[in-house]
Amino acid sequence: MDVRNLTIKKIQEGLLNKTFSALELTETFLDRIEKEDPNIGAYLSVNAKSAVAQAESVDIAIAKDEPLSAVAGIPLGIKDNLLIEGWKTTAASKMLAHYRSAYDATVIRKLKTAGSIFLGKTNMDEFAMGSSTENSAFQKTRNPHDLQRVPGGSSGGSAAAVAADLAVAALGSDTGGSIRQPASFCGVVGLKPTYGAVSRYGLIAMASSLDQIGPITKTVEDAAILFNAIAGQDAADATSAATNYGETLLQPKLETVRALTIGIPEEYFVSNLDSEIGLALQQVIKDLEGLGIKTKKVSLPNTKHALSCYYIIMPAEVSSNLERLEGIRYAEIDGVHRDKESLVELYKQNRSRGFGAEAKRRIMLGTFVLSSGYYDAYYARAQKVRSLIKQDFDEAFKEVDVLLTPVAPTRAFAIGEKTNDPLQMYLSDIFTIPVNLAGVPAISIPTRPIKGLPIGFQLIGRHWREEDILGIGQYYEKIHI
Amino acid sequence: MADILNKKSLEHLAELARLELKSGEETKMLKDLEEILEYFKELQKVDVSKVEPMTGGTSLRSVVREDVVDAKHKTGQGVSDFPESDKNYLKVPPVF
Repeated sequence: MDVRNLTIKKIQEGLLNKTFSALELTETFLDRIEKEDPNIGAYLSVNAKSAVAQAESVDIAIAKDEPLSAVAGIPLGIKDNLLIEGWKTTAASKMLAHYRSAYDATVIRKLKTAGSIFLGKTNMDEFAMGSSTENSAFQKTRNPHDLQRVPGGSSGGSAAAVAADLAVAALGSDTGGSIRQPASFCGVVGLKPTYGAVSRYGLIAMASSLDQIGPITKTVEDAAILFNAIAGQDAADATSAATNYGETLLQPKLETVRALTIGIPEEYFVSNLDSEIGLALQQVIKDLEGLGIKTKKVSLPNTKHALSCYYIIMPAEVSSNLERLEGIRYAEIDGVHRDKESLVELYKQNRSRGFGAEAKRRIMLGTFVLSSGYYDAYYARAQKVRSLIKQDFDEAFKEVDVLLTPVAPTRAFAIGEKTNDPLQMYLSDIFTIPVNLAGVPAISIPTRPIKGLPIGFQLIGRHWREEDILGIGQYYEKIHI
Repeated sequence: MADILNKKSLEHLAELARLELKSGEETKMLKDLEEILEYFKELQKVDVSKVEPMTGGTSLRSVVREDVVDAKHKTGQGVSDFPESDKNYLKVPPVF
């Protein structure tokens, strides 16, 4: 069977009409992974046995005429920082190379109950720190549109898997752009939900005040379906909130979408933006205006401080969250003998061998900005600047309902191009970072098909208003698909 | 930025972070951190005198629950991952 144009929506129809079975679908994807993934490197591990068992139970449910959830029978790739009980979860780090998950993440538990199928765990930058997936301790992932280029990161394996039809959809996590930027580089859709919309329980924490789990899919409609399946309050994550999403996410009305006003923030259309991306976005604006949506220029004056602010707050949280990883409780580190003279000596050996260069850099940076004497000048100041950045969004959302911006300043860059210059790598997240600092939702959507590598545009919504960005996105998609 | 970080303060930070940097690693780390801190300088110009800090990602307030044991979590599974254990306690080298 040809799975290349399949979406979550089409699979549901195919399963219900018995055009194909969940098992047939799953085996087709497993075969594709075996044949194609050696070229792409999207998966760190594949669990065929478990995927087949999940597919069989969906087929039994269909045979018994039991009601199917919207995501039943959907073959998914899962970023390797999300726990699936009994499976290896490495976060692409030597630190957790031998770790097996003791429980299911809440999103995994929800999807298991709903009958989704997990094909395997996807590659990522180590502990989700990076913008190209080159920081994985285990393998490179290549961009399916050009194998010499990166897929973006940190959820590069998930984005590449969806783009190469090695999964129908995938889960990623986004701390500063890690769902949206790889989605943009790979020509797929990626949603970073409102902070608190999706439980983070069972996600290996990077920066707890910024992390969110979200879907990577082929269409905006699929992103809405998968988001709806994983959202909701969870007692195990105190920052998750009671949400009230539902049918309006899935079936937006044109009249509602037309009544929205889109703001175009001048600070995002600056000189370091690739000119072709600027042109592609002008066309998107025209297309949306063609739908009857009004647009308006707005200003978010503190945008220029977002990168510094983020690269202080995030490493501070990283250095705290990664303290627990000492190579003793979770998994042993290859090549370190345990018979050390003291516990501190064992910690140092394990952490020095277990963490890669970027993880160490951020731990050191975080330790510095939190250290006595520098705390006020860096961390405390960054928290105040974060308030200013959030206020910018609050002010803009008094005038408009949604903001439209680029996702990244460039298209997918070459493998190796930025690995020696951390600051250049950090700058590739300059348009996605402010969203995480403010906690608002945003989606990356591919522009209409163009020559060469894909380009994405970003729609940013008010807190809890995924409905607005998904609604506009779904109508944009109707013009071009 | 040499006034903030030098080899000695870098070693102190590494000690706090329980990391041991090889000499090549140390040189590169110092250079990278200096560049990053140089970039951060622009933040010093922002007027934050009247701004409250944003201390997390949420405006939710903490709530309390009854202090009862929740047996939902299977502690045994975490313990079975210990490389070395004795009566369900984790075995480690001497602390002092």
